[in-house]
Amino acid sequence: MSPSAALESPIFRIYATIAILLLAAGGAAIQILKRTSKLNLEPAWNSYRGWLIMVPLVFGVIFLGREATIVFFTLLAIFGAKEFARATGLYRDWTMMGVVYASIIACGVVSLMPDYGLYMVLPVYAISAILAVPILRNQSKGQLQILALAILVFIYIGWMFGHVAFLTNTDHPYAYLLYLLFAVELNDVAAFICGRLFGRHPLRTNISPKKTWEGSLGAVGFSLLLPWILYFSLPDFTPFERLLAGLIVGVGGQFGDLAISVVKRDVEVKDMGALLVGHGGILDRIDSLIFAGPLFFHMSRYFHGL
Amino acid sequence: MTQDPWSYETAVDLDRTLSERLKNFPREPDMLVYGARLLAGAILRTWLRSYHHLVIRGRERIPVGKSCVLVANHASHLDTVCLLSALPINRLHRAFPAAAKDYFFESMPRAALASIVVNALPFNRETSIRQSLALCQRLLDTPGNVLILFPEGTRSPSGELAEFKPGIGLLLAGTDIPVVPCYLRGACAALPKGKIVPRPRKIELTIGLPRSYAHLKRGKDSALEISADLRAAIETLRDSIP
Repeated sequence: MSPSAALESPIFRIYATIAILLLAAGGAAIQILKRTSKLNLEPAWNSYRGWLIMVPLVFGVIFLGREATIVFFTLLAIFGAKEFARATGLYRDWTMMGVVYASIIACGVVSLMPDYGLYMVLPVYAISAILAVPILRNQSKGQLQILALAILVFIYIGWMFGHVAFLTNTDHPYAYLLYLLFAVELNDVAAFICGRLFGRHPLRTNISPKKTWEGSLGAVGFSLLLPWILYFSLPDFTPFERLLAGLIVGVGGQFGDLAISVVKRDVEVKDMGALLVGHGGILDRIDSLIFAGPLFFHMSRYFHGL
Repeated sequence: MTQDPWSYETAVDLDRTLSERLKNFPREPDMLVYGARLLAGAILRTWLRSYHHLVIRGRERIPVGKSCVLVANHASHLDTVCLLSALPINRLHRAFPAAAKDYFFESMPRAALASIVVNALPFNRETSIRQSLALCQRLLDTPGNVLILFPEGTRSPSGELAEFKPGIGLLLAGTDIPVVPCYLRGACAALPKGKIVPRPRKIELTIGLPRSYAHLKRGKDSALEISADLRAAIETLRDSIP
């Protein structure tokens, strides 16, 4: 991956074109609805402005190359972990957060090396370091909560999400990474639109009351079709693997969304942060990717190697 | 599962945007901000020492272990970082230079620099001076905090010492908080008002003996007296430099 490789890669160019077209279509759709309907489009417009920042940013980073992409996703993981820690109160424990941040940075460094085997065993070292913290400072009261939260935040937001950055080390970095990002985000959009159009039956009342079965199943259906729509990106995938890729994104993406919602509901916050108006915090944006990313990574690695 | 639920102490400013959080005061301690501040502090100290050949005289006169106020003449943005360099680097997070809210906390890049690098206290010099002084007062109640004030109220374009505002006197009258007069020479030549790129000029920081105004009653008269006294102390420092 490099700027020249990106320009030469037809896959990168096609995705960049699709992104520009989608952004243009989305902006036009909102403007047309604004003039023709009485719907409150303020949230949609805020969300759209967020996309206008994020899409060029992500494409710019991937254009720059492997190192920039890994650094970018590692930073997302660090600030995502920080949001999680601020929501759960873990952020008050600076020593533990230091260990968590250092472990996340280690994920980035191993991705840069890159060493697949070491990446897969990193949790062994990280969890050892996390468990050592209360021992070294000779404390026990309330430490189980801190340990549990620290391990969860490292494993889920640091290490599992770090797989997305590790995709840059595969033989088809543009194809896999851009497919994953597109599929996951479009799955979110599909769930939202299907929910708004057909939503009747609530999906998980105690976790995310606004989500509906109709929206969710509509998104799964869309995600199952997407590997065929974006055929150019995964040409060596068999129909079975396309089915798996669709399910991972369609089902996994929504599980990721709901997994973060469980945390938010339990700590009683609405959003994990307030980074971009209309999107909430980093974790609110990457929630689906954290869940679907590593599953997609291991599925493609199992069938096609790194 | 029926277990007692954990209690989570969510950050109170979780739902605020980054710029709101930076402009907010007092700030919640933040590990990444502290790290960035230490790094910036180390870089700025190296820069001042090598590029501006910063000399600091009387560093040992700054009280340790209790709160104090540093006052100095103001002619350059470098003044604040020079004064911060006189403190031990681990005291950086406890030092609060009062910075004009209308200048530093309106635009995002400046607010980020002011709050992350220099840990500035947003001082509203136009409408609510009393409120800002109350904020300063509360800071000084915590032992070990350092408040940095420029009683001229703004940077002097010529480098000449301007008149002192009486606010500093209102804050200090009748309290035993030590106040340390400091004089900066050369900062104006290195980075005058309106310039962006610093010139390689020598900067000297002279720190005077701490004094306090516990014997004075609170009021307008003693406030004027204190500002005049501090101004005289800084002039004495200026004239004492060889």
